[in-house]
Amino acid sequence: MTLWFVRGLRRGVVTTRYPARPDESARFLPAPPAFRPGALTLAVAGRLAETCPSGALHVVQEEDGGVLVFDVGRCTACGRCAAEAPQAVTSSGAFELAATDRSVLIKRITLRGEEQ
Amino acid sequence: MTEEELRTAIARQFGRSLHIRTLDTGSCAVCEQEIRLLAAPHYDLHRLGFFFTPAPRHADLLLVTGPMIRAFEVAARKTYDAMPGPKVVVAVGACALGGVYPADPFTHGTVDAVLPVDVWIPGCPPSPLALLHGLGVAVGRLAEKVRDLPFTAEDDLERVRGAR
Repeated sequence: MTLWFVRGLRRGVVTTRYPARPDESARFLPAPPAFRPGALTLAVAGRLAETCPSGALHVVQEEDGGVLVFDVGRCTACGRCAAEAPQAVTSSGAFELAATDRSVLIKRITLRGEEQ
Repeated sequence: MTEEELRTAIARQFGRSLHIRTLDTGSCAVCEQEIRLLAAPHYDLHRLGFFFTPAPRHADLLLVTGPMIRAFEVAARKTYDAMPGPKVVVAVGACALGGVYPADPFTHGTVDAVLPVDVWIPGCPPSPLALLHGLGVAVGRLAEKVRDLPFTAEDDLERVRGAR
């Protein structure tokens, strides 16, 4: 207590930046998936959308190709998509996901075109 | 009032000690478990000036978990109305964000359907670290990170082809 008081008098600030250092436990947390667009064909994306139990993944067909729409807010980080297509899905490792706008949580991932 | 003035005003209003009221609208209680952990020594929420309060009339911030079951709608509205302004509503967890239950005769499926949500915290459940970050975002002390995350991984095509 006295130490912090003296330190506060000397420096004027007793608080530290947040986070003071990266939390080591963060890498053990379940995280939403990240997708490899190069391995994400329409067929694979369709399978992923069917696998997702919380409806976080949808395939949308557009004029210039397919898009995988990923709603991070609905994702429960269950890992079923990564188990379904390990070559196309990995863990994003992101956990600080708070958003001030719901639409920010909806990500669009462009699918790879079919084999030329 | 310009955007900058508004931001300064919010920082001034919410930059001091802030009281949180938690509201369970039908969650499985794992979100509550993580919220409870915020007060544990490891995360120590109180060092940041956040406190839990048992009364909505003392609360600045409403932490809402669960899919907003219809039976709880009146209580949720009353809680929100009882809070003094300015107030912030934070939706916590995949249930509150619409990921687990669909809108049906029993649940609304999302918190947005009943309350004006200001900050959304995804996760099932969101870890205490994610909640701390969300609270920081809610009071304008920490930056929102998810906006710039593409959720695409580095594309190592050769390795992908080799794995097939």
